[in-house]
Amino acid sequence: MRKWALVLLALVPLLAGCATQPSGEKEVKKVNVYGSGASFPAPQIYAWISEFEKQRKDITVEYTSKGSGAGINDFKLKLVHFACSDPPAKESEWREFEKLGKPLQFPFIVGAVAVVYNVPGVGELRLDGETLAKIFAGDIEFWDDNAIKALNPDARLPHEKIIVIHRSDSSGTTEIFTNYLSIVSEDFKQKVGAGKLVEWPVDKLGRGYGGKGNEGVSAMLKQTMYSIAYVELAYALHEKFPIVSLKNKAGKFVQPTDETISSAIVATKAFVPDPREGYKEDLKQFLNAPGENSYPIVAFSHVLLWEGYEDKEVARAVKDFWKWVLTDGKKYMLKGYVALPDEIVKSALDAIEKIS
Amino acid sequence: MDRFKLLLLPVCGTVLGILMLMLLVFAVNSAETLARQGIETFTSNVWIASEIPEEEFYGLLAAIYGTLYTSILALILALPTSIALAVFTIDFVPQKAKEALVIPVDIMAGLPTVLYGLWGLFVLAPLVGNFAPIFYEKLSFVPLFSYYNFTGFSYLTASILLAIMVTPFATAIIREAYRTIPATYREAVYSLGLTRYEATKVLLSFIKPSILAGSLLAFGRAVGETVAVSLVVGNTFNIHPSFFAPGYTISSLLANQFGNAFVYRYMPSALFCAGLVLFLIGLLVNIAGVLLLRRWRHV
Amino acid sequence: MFRKLKETLFIAYVCIFSIIALLPLVHIVFTVFANGIPVIFRGGTEFLTQSLASPGKGLGGIFPAIFGTFLLVFLSSLIGIPIAILAGTFIAEYPTSALSKSVRALLTIMLEFPTILVGLFVMAILVIPMGSFSAIAASLALAIVMLPYVATYTEQALRNVPQHYKEGAYALGLRKARVVFSVSMRIARKGVVTGLLIGVAKVSGETAPLIFTAGNAWRSVGGVFEPVGAIPLWIYYLVQQPYANYHEIAWGSAAVLLTLFLVIFIPLRVLTREVRV
Repeated sequence: MRKWALVLLALVPLLAGCATQPSGEKEVKKVNVYGSGASFPAPQIYAWISEFEKQRKDITVEYTSKGSGAGINDFKLKLVHFACSDPPAKESEWREFEKLGKPLQFPFIVGAVAVVYNVPGVGELRLDGETLAKIFAGDIEFWDDNAIKALNPDARLPHEKIIVIHRSDSSGTTEIFTNYLSIVSEDFKQKVGAGKLVEWPVDKLGRGYGGKGNEGVSAMLKQTMYSIAYVELAYALHEKFPIVSLKNKAGKFVQPTDETISSAIVATKAFVPDPREGYKEDLKQFLNAPGENSYPIVAFSHVLLWEGYEDKEVARAVKDFWKWVLTDGKKYMLKGYVALPDEIVKSALDAIEKIS
Repeated sequence: MDRFKLLLLPVCGTVLGILMLMLLVFAVNSAETLARQGIETFTSNVWIASEIPEEEFYGLLAAIYGTLYTSILALILALPTSIALAVFTIDFVPQKAKEALVIPVDIMAGLPTVLYGLWGLFVLAPLVGNFAPIFYEKLSFVPLFSYYNFTGFSYLTASILLAIMVTPFATAIIREAYRTIPATYREAVYSLGLTRYEATKVLLSFIKPSILAGSLLAFGRAVGETVAVSLVVGNTFNIHPSFFAPGYTISSLLANQFGNAFVYRYMPSALFCAGLVLFLIGLLVNIAGVLLLRRWRHV
Repeated sequence: MFRKLKETLFIAYVCIFSIIALLPLVHIVFTVFANGIPVIFRGGTEFLTQSLASPGKGLGGIFPAIFGTFLLVFLSSLIGIPIAILAGTFIAEYPTSALSKSVRALLTIMLEFPTILVGLFVMAILVIPMGSFSAIAASLALAIVMLPYVATYTEQALRNVPQHYKEGAYALGLRKARVVFSVSMRIARKGVVTGLLIGVAKVSGETAPLIFTAGNAWRSVGGVFEPVGAIPLWIYYLVQQPYANYHEIAWGSAAVLLTLFLVIFIPLRVLTREVRV
């Protein structure tokens, strides 16, 4: 008896769910598009999804922020329709994708990695590439180390150990950041290297913590005094963390802003390959960019799609969403994200037209 | 053989089959890692996730260490508590009030683990994080306190949380065993003029197998808990004796790393290998517990 | 002399540790409701009917999670309960067979088996080949978790049926299946239903089996073969985000989950005390 009552009880919300779905009108068939990947662009993607939904009631886009690595994971297993990855796919990965279909890749947004910190009493902090590399390699132990003091003679640096917060998951943000550190410090390149998931020496020294996603790192930074971390700029701005002024190639200390990011792109001759050959893109092209006013840790964030989808409704939905992102999406940019330059958008739009 | 039995046979076969299949899936998927890395899989604390397949190496030592450390510590914390609660419920409380103590214990046993995790993250971890530095300052010469960590993400936090979660299981088993000690023994013991303390000691010694069984089952539960632990243990590849050090456990390793495992050629296999270790620990501990309970019941 | 001291210490130990044992429950329930109920009031009915809010912008709703939880409970019950009841019946009716003994041992072992392994197993055999996270995969994982509870309770309930009822039925010439289902089950009904509800209560709060099978859904309510959200899963993900409004939503969802759980569990435990595992 009670069993049937429970079954009936469970059925009620099911029916209620079906009833609340289409608002008025005839049965509007809703298409669900699934994506996952980098936490770097996630806040911007959520903002875009909200706006898009208002205009297209028949398409729902779901994005789960899990890290570039997890996104590529899901894409490879065909568990999602699109994946967002900060670094462009490598050739070996691309070949793997080609075994399963025709992959497309293009950048859809520009972002920057900010170095943030939580040290009470220190409002502004200047660092250069080498010092930063030493901190993250574990060679500099205390906040009032001579190297840091030299760059910040006026700051009241406490004699506390530096707690380093990094990513515990496979992350495009990590790949961008470690590539930068490898460029500016040969020592870091040898000791740690670059990649989505690296072994941080600070872990073994007892001063390292891993957070999941940009979100996890932000949460930990908030709770941990005397810590330093690297996060995507939008997270730093949203949480109002103090951001390190980094010395760029020209020697100036800059903060990551729309201008400094755009300057980095303008100063570099950006090479964006045909979307069908996405692996040819070089992640490092904007790192440590030349230019008086350029911020040194700038990178594209990319999306991976398939040229063909089994479900035609899904193909149409994917096409519509990404076309919208590259065109109308520019009107809804959040703080900390910069839209793509127009020339690059064109080749991406051409590729999207081919999706079926 | 009657028809009814024949009808039900496939169902039981399915149940048996599921477990066998699970073991098979884990074993088959671990084979690659074991072949490639050999015994060092379990003895090294190195986690290299490279996009160059030849460089990949996954050592599970940190995770195994963390699992054992937190579960054993949890058991040490949980056992005296369970025994106390069991004795309290049976001996110290009048008949009518007993139910009021049994039901909360059952609720705790069934409570969604994510709620424990939520509480652990926002209440317990900050609490531990506040006290840890004090211990470090005064007592850092003791290895158990020799780690400076004020985030609260540590072995200790995970162990305390686990202890809270497994106490109900041990309590239930011990309480039931304690309840069924024949009245004659109870009367005999008190008629000899023993104090409560002495009497309880004697009575508890009758149910030693149950206490052991309860401990084993509690341990098995602690070993397998994922969600609550992964939110408070720190998720770092670390091996350190201190309570306040952060670390990894096998279950939280799986929860964190499986999401991006397939990007790397050999990571899925390594993780399945970790899962296999967990599987075997859980299996062994639970079998031992069940056998003990069974033997005691027949005595 | 020392005897008296030891006695006092002992009594103190028992009392204090008993309080320590129960204190966390009180505190957890209190914290969840204290943090969660204000959120639900602020969110109003929209909290229960809308989809997830954007980061940093208000409370939105947790409808996809609620829907998901009910859908998963429904599906997993559909899959797991029949198998569990039949298995439990087999063990109860043929206790001496070798198969029966092994299954019984197995079920006791599976009672507290690491649930994340169950999730990974289903991921390997269903999610990947299927090419999608889905409600059906998640339900399969939950059904496996639910199985031991329902089966063990069914077995115990049937075993407690007094012999003379069964003998009477046989004497009337009924066949075995009839005896079991028409007679024994009727009498054991209470125990079996207890097992069902315990299983349901347990899986409605499980998270680990869902992480790699259900995917997640923040705004959509898809079909059986599509990704689905669930309240425990949402809490797990939202809590790891830095946005304050997501934390509030997590507390609100926790309050909803706790209420659901207590509403099933407390009446259950209060009304059925004889059947114990």
